[in-house]
Amino acid sequence: MKKLHLLLLPCIVLAQTAPAPPAKSGVEPPKNRAPVSKEVLRVKLPRAVEMHLDNGLTVLILENHRLPTISMTLELRSAGALYEPPDLTGLASVTASMLREGTTTRTSKQIAETVDRLAANINAFAGQGGVGTSMNIFGLTENFDQWFPLAVDILLHPAFPADEWAKLKQRQLVGLRNQRTSPQFLSRERFNRAVFGSHPAAIISATPASLEAITVEAMKKWHDERYTPQNSILGIAGDVTAAQIMPKLRSALAAWKKTDLKVGGASPVTPAAEKRVIIVNRAGSVQTNLVMGNIAIDRRSPDYVPLVVMNQVLGGGSTARLFNNLREDKGYTYGAYSSLSAGEYAGPWEASSEVRTEVTEGAMREFFNEFNRIRDEKVPSAELDEKKRSVVARFALSLESPQSVLGFAITRKVYGLPEDYWDTYPAQISAVTAEDIQRVAKKYLTLDNIQIVAVGDAAKIRPVLEKYGKVTIYDVDGKVM
Amino acid sequence: MKKSIFLAIAVAFLASAADPAIPFKLFKLKNGLTVILSEDHSAPTYSIALSYNVGSRDEKSGRTGFAHLFEHMMFQGSENVAKGEHPSLISTNGGSLNGTTDNDRTLYYETLPANQLDLGLFLEADRMRSLNVNQANLDNQRNAVQEERRLRIDNQPYGPTYLAVEETAYDAFGYKHSVIGSMEDLNAASLDDVQEFFKRYYAPNNAVIAIVGDFKTDEALAKVKKYFEAIPSQPAPPRPDLSQPAQKAERRKTLEDAFAQLPRIDIAYRIPDGLSPDYYALRVMSQILGGGQSSRLYQRLVRDEEVAAGSGAYADQRRGPGLEQIFVTIRPGKDPAAVEKAVYEEIGKLQTTPVEDWELEKIRTNAHRAQIQSAQSTLGRAAALADETTNFGDPNLVNLTYQKMAAVTKADIQRVAKQYLTEENRTVIVTLPKKAAAPAQPKQ
Repeated sequence: MKKLHLLLLPCIVLAQTAPAPPAKSGVEPPKNRAPVSKEVLRVKLPRAVEMHLDNGLTVLILENHRLPTISMTLELRSAGALYEPPDLTGLASVTASMLREGTTTRTSKQIAETVDRLAANINAFAGQGGVGTSMNIFGLTENFDQWFPLAVDILLHPAFPADEWAKLKQRQLVGLRNQRTSPQFLSRERFNRAVFGSHPAAIISATPASLEAITVEAMKKWHDERYTPQNSILGIAGDVTAAQIMPKLRSALAAWKKTDLKVGGASPVTPAAEKRVIIVNRAGSVQTNLVMGNIAIDRRSPDYVPLVVMNQVLGGGSTARLFNNLREDKGYTYGAYSSLSAGEYAGPWEASSEVRTEVTEGAMREFFNEFNRIRDEKVPSAELDEKKRSVVARFALSLESPQSVLGFAITRKVYGLPEDYWDTYPAQISAVTAEDIQRVAKKYLTLDNIQIVAVGDAAKIRPVLEKYGKVTIYDVDGKVM
Repeated sequence: MKKSIFLAIAVAFLASAADPAIPFKLFKLKNGLTVILSEDHSAPTYSIALSYNVGSRDEKSGRTGFAHLFEHMMFQGSENVAKGEHPSLISTNGGSLNGTTDNDRTLYYETLPANQLDLGLFLEADRMRSLNVNQANLDNQRNAVQEERRLRIDNQPYGPTYLAVEETAYDAFGYKHSVIGSMEDLNAASLDDVQEFFKRYYAPNNAVIAIVGDFKTDEALAKVKKYFEAIPSQPAPPRPDLSQPAQKAERRKTLEDAFAQLPRIDIAYRIPDGLSPDYYALRVMSQILGGGQSSRLYQRLVRDEEVAAGSGAYADQRRGPGLEQIFVTIRPGKDPAAVEKAVYEEIGKLQTTPVEDWELEKIRTNAHRAQIQSAQSTLGRAAALADETTNFGDPNLVNLTYQKMAAVTKADIQRVAKQYLTEENRTVIVTLPKKAAAPAQPKQ
């Protein structure tokens, strides 16, 4: 295995004598008296070994023998909710959940007892709008030969018993009702609708009607057709060697046959064209949950790296501008952040916070002040250097976790990124300039078509939000009021 | 300097040779600071966990929420560190940090690359020695904490329920009120309170620092002395009296919740402190009753009878008297009283019938796994070492959890279920969805 030495921070100016941060921030100028080591940290970038089974399954193995545990993640990249029939929203998700509810030789109860008795985890999950179903498997080395065959049985031989589906459906119907009490769910529901429009990712949850329409026959068909080895990647990290595990995989997965199914690319997403302001009226709310943003880029975009740095400056954590302004300076909130989602298809940049109802107006003003500032002004060099150092250093430290290194290897594989992508990642981040940040901010943080969602007390916040565009009000059940 | 106590701890008790014990060395500085160092060279990182022996248990009436508000003040700067500089230095160097307050203690922590040991120690020592507080920062953090309360309690379904359980089950004031505190008390907190609290509780003799990771013990100890040993000690703070008369009869309250869609029942039994021999039997019992999909409550109420949407049970581990807490959210149209009765039937089975072999095996394998996985992160180990020392006076307790869990017998479970899970020892909070749209949350 090739071992690289990654020299951190080789070309970043150390900003220990930084000038004062911008006046709008709640923080003071640094005193620069704390002892900071200038020594260059050497971090190894371990490599995952790539193997293939005859059925087309790609296997990525990252050996790490520090702990006697093995974790596996199976990305079934043809079983994403993106490919669900439109009237069966939730099919990918319930099929994944039903895997544990009985196989041809085990009952739901036996599976639950065995998994817990072995101190293992075997779970499958498919999010709405996702390109795949993920199966996460974890266990101790010492009882691998007990939990691994169980996981394979759950993957390959689910029975989809009708009585278990009847029970699971009832549990999920209660869940659909309960999730509407959460302001976070309500804001996410409307925000995804707003930014994704007619794309399947606009829908974040099944409905009672779609659950009722899903049958065990539909699940069996979905499982037969969509759980295909040739479109899947199995990542393994931990206390294994390729030589030990490959024969076991070949034998256990021999019954999993290759098919002709190919995954089509995701349909493209474009930013919402018209500015929109959406309020979800949640009676009794004492805070306003604000989410705003629009579609930006997919993971393969050349603008990914500059946007990562821009996000770190704007709202990536408790040292970024949004947090310093809305919390540390104004005291409007417990936290204010921004984030970027970039996957197979373009996802949104977004900024969010929960603020007490009375300061909704001030919070909106400060969000827009920060959006305008990062668009209109070049990020001061000391601030930019600090944020780039932060991204690079966190990346380097994350390499200590085998699961994250495996995650990086899967990302590279899935998006077809260059072989040396992660080797050069710190250098790519370091090369981002203030001009790059301003360019991507102007390009993606467009304010004339921004989508704004506010969950709270509509009577109180409507006059504030009307200043940002035409307001549409929904109730907590998702109906226009 | 020469007076530091050196204790090499033998860790040969473990049930399985494969279980990695956490080795450590324990020291005490001249100013009373307890120092725990645990070398681990498997990754070039380290974590500091600094625990102050003060929690909401120490708060006075009229000043609830103060320990946690004070935790926020610790990020507002000190003599040699500007407001915002501490998080910025940690982040720029790839690390992470935070603070957390519970009923019994307040914990601050950092994870950093191994070559930045001086940085982490300097930042913690500077604020222990010379915290900088002013009215503007207090007002600002009071706002942030009040938003935290709204975010977690006042704007969420069942928020008031969480507070009602402790308020009703406890008589001792220290545990009767919430960590987050009341809005009124937070408003009343003054700059004088902050300064007084800092002087009283944030002294080296009231703190434990645990450091785990890639360093040499003698070098790390020298650095800890360099940064901390000149900080003067203070008189030992007074400790609250958490004793309370035995409960004589069931306590019951019904709340209406404007945000909740489903009724919910919370049942709390008074149990002994977390160091008591019975505590681990109760913890094992809780996992059998309510831990995960194979648990008895889930299998019966959620899966088979389909009367509940969710369920759980856990034994709260506290320095003082704890609570065995059980909750069930109830499906629409189902009778909360019938579900409550079913919970008591399950408790009755624990009292009268030995648990099954596979249930005990599940407890043991999961405790074994937890022990193995504790070696994954330096932060988890540092926090556990600091917490066990602050709460129970013995860092080696981190290495004994597995044995304590594995030693619990079927007879132990029956005995503690009979002794503690009784009608007169319980508090029941029933939360019902409020039908009409309500303007505000129930006041507590």
